[in-house]
Amino acid sequence: MSENKQVVNEIDHSMYDFKDVENEQDFYRLKEGLSKETVLKVSEEKNDPDWMRDFRLKCLDIYNEIKMPDWGPSIEGLDMDRISSYVRHKSDMKGKWEDVPEDIKNTFERLGIPQAERESLAGVGAQYDSELVYHNVKDEVAAQGVIYTDLESALRSEYADMIKEHFMKLVPPTDHKFAALHGAVWSGGSFVYVPKGVKVEIPLQSYFRLNAAGAGQFEHTLIIVDEGADLHFIEGCSAPKYNVANLHAGCVELFVGKNARLRYSTIENWSKNMYNLNTKRAVVEENGIMEWVSGSFGSHTSYLYPMTILKGDNSKMEFTGITFAGKGQNLDTGAKVVHQGKKTSSVISTKSISKDGGIGTYRSSVVIQNSAKKAKASVSCDSLMLDSISRADTIPAMDIRTNDADVGHEAKIGRISDEAVFYLMSRGISEEDAKAMIVSGFANPVSKELPLEYAVEMNNLIKLEMSGH
Amino acid sequence: MSEQSLLQVKNLSVSIDNELPILNNINLDIKPGETHVLMGPNGAGKSTLGFTLMGNSHYCVTEGNILFEGQDITTASADKRAKAGMFLSFQNPYEVPGISLSSFIRNAYHAQTGAPVKLMAFQKSLKAAMEILSMDESYADRDLNVGFSGGEKKKAEILQLLMLNPKFAILDETDSGLDVDAVRTVSKGIEEYQKKKDGALLIITHSTKILESLHVDYTHVLVKGNIVHTGDGTLVDEINANGFERFL
Amino acid sequence: MNKDLNMKVNVLPVLTYNFLRLNDSTILASDIRIDSFESPKLNVVPAGVTVESSVDFEKAGEVFRAYKERIQVTTGVPGDPNGDTSYRDKDQVLRTGMGIDVDEFMTEVSAKADIYTVDEGVKVSEPLVLHYDLKDGDGNVSAQVIHAKKNSEITLIMDYNSDKDASGFLGISTRILAEEGAKVNIVKSQLLGNGFLHFDDMGGACFEKGAINVIAVELGAYKAWNGCYINLSEKEADFNSNIAYLSRDDHELDINYVADHRGKKTNALMQFKGVLMGEAKKTLRFTIDFKNGSSGSAGDEQEDTLLLSDNVVNRTMPVILCQEEDVDGRHGATIGQLGEDLLFYMQTRGIDEEEAKRIMIKARLESVARMIPDPELMQKVIYFIQGIV
Repeated sequence: MSENKQVVNEIDHSMYDFKDVENEQDFYRLKEGLSKETVLKVSEEKNDPDWMRDFRLKCLDIYNEIKMPDWGPSIEGLDMDRISSYVRHKSDMKGKWEDVPEDIKNTFERLGIPQAERESLAGVGAQYDSELVYHNVKDEVAAQGVIYTDLESALRSEYADMIKEHFMKLVPPTDHKFAALHGAVWSGGSFVYVPKGVKVEIPLQSYFRLNAAGAGQFEHTLIIVDEGADLHFIEGCSAPKYNVANLHAGCVELFVGKNARLRYSTIENWSKNMYNLNTKRAVVEENGIMEWVSGSFGSHTSYLYPMTILKGDNSKMEFTGITFAGKGQNLDTGAKVVHQGKKTSSVISTKSISKDGGIGTYRSSVVIQNSAKKAKASVSCDSLMLDSISRADTIPAMDIRTNDADVGHEAKIGRISDEAVFYLMSRGISEEDAKAMIVSGFANPVSKELPLEYAVEMNNLIKLEMSGH
Repeated sequence: MSEQSLLQVKNLSVSIDNELPILNNINLDIKPGETHVLMGPNGAGKSTLGFTLMGNSHYCVTEGNILFEGQDITTASADKRAKAGMFLSFQNPYEVPGISLSSFIRNAYHAQTGAPVKLMAFQKSLKAAMEILSMDESYADRDLNVGFSGGEKKKAEILQLLMLNPKFAILDETDSGLDVDAVRTVSKGIEEYQKKKDGALLIITHSTKILESLHVDYTHVLVKGNIVHTGDGTLVDEINANGFERFL
Repeated sequence: MNKDLNMKVNVLPVLTYNFLRLNDSTILASDIRIDSFESPKLNVVPAGVTVESSVDFEKAGEVFRAYKERIQVTTGVPGDPNGDTSYRDKDQVLRTGMGIDVDEFMTEVSAKADIYTVDEGVKVSEPLVLHYDLKDGDGNVSAQVIHAKKNSEITLIMDYNSDKDASGFLGISTRILAEEGAKVNIVKSQLLGNGFLHFDDMGGACFEKGAINVIAVELGAYKAWNGCYINLSEKEADFNSNIAYLSRDDHELDINYVADHRGKKTNALMQFKGVLMGEAKKTLRFTIDFKNGSSGSAGDEQEDTLLLSDNVVNRTMPVILCQEEDVDGRHGATIGQLGEDLLFYMQTRGIDEEEAKRIMIKARLESVARMIPDPELMQKVIYFIQGIV
């Protein structure tokens, strides 16, 4: 027991919420607000090709035209005039850990990033504010032809055409206001290409740290898993807490080829002043498999619904997600799927926990088009209410346009039963620990999908939330 | 009989939601190493007594006290009682998805002793205890009680009894719903616990199957919330032959 | 009177993605002929029941206006759900499933309401039956208010029917107050012709141990909208609904049901059984809303939809909103065609696929039809179902 507590305290005080000592003169920061000038400035900083610069300006126009969403959590607290869309350290991206500037290195070491790489990852990318500060792939993985690099370098490499062909094609800037914003000021993120037939045995990881106050992070992740290839990609996110709003409007575009498989795992622990308006989307070709594992713990406000388009026949998707909405949080999360191909199948399984006035909303859509004969879709969402000042809402939608589909849907809302707590207490476990244990058990179907160290991290986050720190 | 009492129940009355009492003026005195049997027809309040002794807040003590090793624990929470050395084997053990039986026992052991659990030694003793109970090893990794049959659930309770080694254990209807073989196995587990010299037991049952191979010191008969008779181990046989009728 | 209709109805209690176009429905029609503004009259009024006929719609809402705060009782704990739309209908004296546009329409066309008041403690055993026998070209807009005083019980059956090929318009608003211990059973049978445009809006409130029980079969009309919003305002209030629908050809059906749990230990069951054929389009929104203060409540929404053609559109929004810890909310849906196992089983018993489908359609729809407490109407509904399959 005392051991557990110590772990909790350790994470609480040191793991995420520390603020790095920044020497301001080491950082380049774009003036707050969004205008044609800022967008051009970002483009100049990035040394964009012409098409990208024009694309950014087009996105800005779209951003100015599209209305704010009227259906989700309030984003009134987000004032774009007070967000700097570009902050970077004045040093370049490094390929060797030793060369990363000391202050940034300290941050990531405290988060355990290079350590994780040594132990269990095939490659690591680390983004600090708007730019990647570190990118490295293990030699044997690189030797298989796997490309894992920052998107900017990739734009100037032999993959330039491939990127132009795919960039914001799956998530067009017209999709919603923040997709347009992303298109206008995106910076950083990763490009991954796994060639035909290559199976990457251990995961690649990107870690995003937004350290500057009043800033936005707009990284773009583009992953192409070619025919028959296999990849597990992990992203982690964190930021220290400030009193001003921060914004994360990243974009993830995933292309899963014929017979390929991609697993995309996220543990999101943004600080509780973050507006997390992230867009993730995958398209899956014939026989391909897309697996999402998503844990949402941080942020002040979240809009997050990874979407999968099952385009090819027999393609599959599985979404496993957990959301823990604590004090002051409004987390609106879920998943979207569109079945187009024959015999496509989707399984969405989510857990949501609400506590201390937090608002947890599960929102989803399952669309089965007329072409998706013999499609199968199943949705199950469980919500756990830990008190009566919180909210747990379930807002799923189904749109089915063929009769040759098999669709099942289940939702449940409940609480921790007194009997279960008493049973555990009768074995000597304190009430608080008993509840934490039941919640961990509730979350287990998600944590067991994660690599061990992330599962441990997730359980620690749950304990942390349960102890109310 | 100068020996110190382990559990003392003094003039205990219990009710739910301020309604009529379910238990009236119950008195018990259990010393280390003793085995007490609480018998009585269905609905007599036997399980209520078990829950109340273990501190289920659903049951409200309206009068009297519960003392464990001389300390008044009447208002202590269930985990405090467990840490003090009490144990309750549930009639209907709760299913807890997501936590394996073995990690649960490890957690409970750790919570009670505060000592770090040595994994190898723990697994060894778990395996030994499971063997006594003829439990398949695979149960250790299954979620606690989830999808267990009635018999497996009862065995898992006795497994926890053996692993946690309390000073005093209440076994609530541990034999109900079990076939002959399972009763024998469970009895074997309980005997194993009795072997530990100081372990004391309160066995709640409305049948006598489980008592056949166990040594019993005292038998209490509970009817309509009152202990109407207390005798020695031979009372079990008498009830076995004649039922409860003469106490009703 | 000829009217253009442009009403936004069946607004979801919480909005979701706009691309789905599920957040509400629009009734758009031009030059609709309306020639009657009255409910059919009862031949006999049972003892203990008072009927006030032809009351202005606005005035008929008096009883709800008087009780509005009691109906919409709140603990004051803040926290609206994301995308909350409750502000839209806040001026309704009693919220209804279709919403304020229906009230405004009723007032605008000067539709009349009949108010049925059931005296305290009176249990009326014989159902009141309102027969809407409509002919080709008829247009009726009318309203009912049922006020069941303490511990009373009443059953109101509304029978909407016309010739199979008749066209016309029928717009209904039924509002219900079940006081303490009162029980109101509402039965609606819709067997309108293929050319009918139809809407049927309901709102209700239950005080302590009050109950509203809805049985509805929606089988006709080419376009139909159904709404029902029940306030379970006080302890142990109960809402039970069983709805069967069949939509075929190019018909459209749009439904919005809400159980608003405010009192403790309130209970709601919404069960929909449906069959879609041809190019039918159906949208079903149902919401269980556990407001803060509704501890000990249970809500269950279930849908079982049989899709018999490959060109149907079946859309469902099963929403559960919850701001209370100790509640039990659940939703379940099974959507699809007849299971191959079941078909095979039937075939081994000598029943071919077509016959098996007929059996299953009938089984679904008749399970609700058989709950109709008027034998004659029940027979009529069953014949209607058999006529289609």
